Amino acid sequence: MTAIVEAAGLTKRFGKVTAVDDVSFSLEQGGIHGLLGRNGAGKTTLMQLLTGQDFATRGDVKIFGEHPVENARAVGRTCFIKESQVYPDDFQGKHVLKIAPRFFPHWDEDLAQHLVEAFGAPMDRKIKKLSRGQRSAIGVIVGIASRAELTFLDEPYAGLDAVARRRFYDLLLEDYAEHPRTIVLSTHLIDEAAALLQRVLVIDNGRIVINADAEELRGSATTLVGKASDVEAFAAHREVLDRSAIGGIASVTIAGLSADEKRAAAQAGLETIPVSLQELIVRRTGGTLTEEVSA
Amino acid sequence: MTAIAHERHVAPAPTRIWNVVRLHIANPIPTLVLPWIITFIIFAANLAIWLMVVQVAGGVENLEPGAFQYSGGISWIVVFMMVVAVQAMNLTFPFALGFAVTRRDFYLGSSLYFVLLALLYSTGLTLLAALESATGGWGMDAAFFAPYGLYDEPLAVLWFAYFGLMLLFFFLGAAIATVWVRWKAYGLYAFFIGLAALLIGSAWVITTTESWGDVGQFFVTNSPAALVAWTLPLTLVSAVVGFLFLRRATPKSA
Repeated sequence: MTAIVEAAGLTKRFGKVTAVDDVSFSLEQGGIHGLLGRNGAGKTTLMQLLTGQDFATRGDVKIFGEHPVENARAVGRTCFIKESQVYPDDFQGKHVLKIAPRFFPHWDEDLAQHLVEAFGAPMDRKIKKLSRGQRSAIGVIVGIASRAELTFLDEPYAGLDAVARRRFYDLLLEDYAEHPRTIVLSTHLIDEAAALLQRVLVIDNGRIVINADAEELRGSATTLVGKASDVEAFAAHREVLDRSAIGGIASVTIAGLSADEKRAAAQAGLETIPVSLQELIVRRTGGTLTEEVSA
Repeated sequence: MTAIAHERHVAPAPTRIWNVVRLHIANPIPTLVLPWIITFIIFAANLAIWLMVVQVAGGVENLEPGAFQYSGGISWIVVFMMVVAVQAMNLTFPFALGFAVTRRDFYLGSSLYFVLLALLYSTGLTLLAALESATGGWGMDAAFFAPYGLYDEPLAVLWFAYFGLMLLFFFLGAAIATVWVRWKAYGLYAFFIGLAALLIGSAWVITTTESWGDVGQFFVTNSPAALVAWTLPLTLVSAVVGFLFLRRATPKSA
């Protein structure tokens, strides 16, 4: 397998702010990958660096094995839809769809029309007069119908309601299944998107704090609930991510429990609950925040 | 994992640049239709006023010769071209980058679009000026499409003046807009402070060397065609500066 995205020591500073801080990772070709993190964590800046829209302060970035900056050969195989997508003045949705095939060699017109109907996106009104959700729908339609080999979707569904978001996940997955490609989806709605994701990158304060297979990550922590004494006995000598207690009942979240260990915990009278991706990430990224605050 | 076909194919540069031109006219109304409509509305307003004056005067023969030859109503279109350039750099640029366009292709495509628009409008207006002159100034010895100062010039000079000035305003607009795109408000402050310093400095030099007479002389002795030709170096410099600024610009979300 080949790496479609490679970053090595990638750093972007804006004055005193380090938006992306010495980031190194690579993504294999194929798959829907999540770039997760809190607002301002550096998701958009990282995507801008990967698509040659921004210039690295330090470090190296490659897509398709080439530097993306001003490289039509590499950038021409991407599509990058942002949350706050800017459209030319007086543009309507139909103008976006009319021009898109010229820029995306894999553009599928039938799919685009299908998506327009699925999202009920108005095509003959000025985009600047649309609601946030309607604008997002247009971005999502382009992002999916472009079928670019490397697609970046940066919080693509801002303003879409839960029903439309569900539809987005379904349609994205459906089209991905038929036309596999590499999609990088940034979001802070982690649990919603979790089922889609094959690989998860978590960025916090400009640093990649988690880079793991989504499946592995989901199994990587378990919450155990039971009598405080039983819980403590079991948790001793294990890596505890989180603990809480109310009265005599305690709960701990433990990293890396094997199936055997889970069975042992059940036999010890503890209830085992799998930890959701969202909880896990909140714990990891929330943790660094509290440390900083208390420091 | 499913194998993904590798594609090394990318459209050749001329196609990519032409695609940017097509992007600018994806919605043809604002730059290909609206300017003509506005021009004809202004023209109609002028026509109505001329007719009214002729009516009151009791005939064209009662008016001073050339009374209707001082119109500047068409000059709006040159300023409009500057607005087109600013919008292109400010709004179409970040959009195009999301559509996998490089800055170079975007700038070259936009420049081609500017040149084509300038060709279209200068030719169209010159043809209308020819019609105007063929009809004896709409039967009233009036001039709208050949504005004041260019009324007596040959049509070729008129065309050149339109073309040259539109290009100037396009690329001035593009250069100023790229200052904004790249450095936002502080860039514009610096630009306008620099511009003011340049103008005052020039005035200073001209005054201390007592050359105002020569400056006036320059505008009087040079033909309109020569004056327009003098703007071409400035147009070229603006075009190059705009490109250099945009080369390192980042599309910032609003």
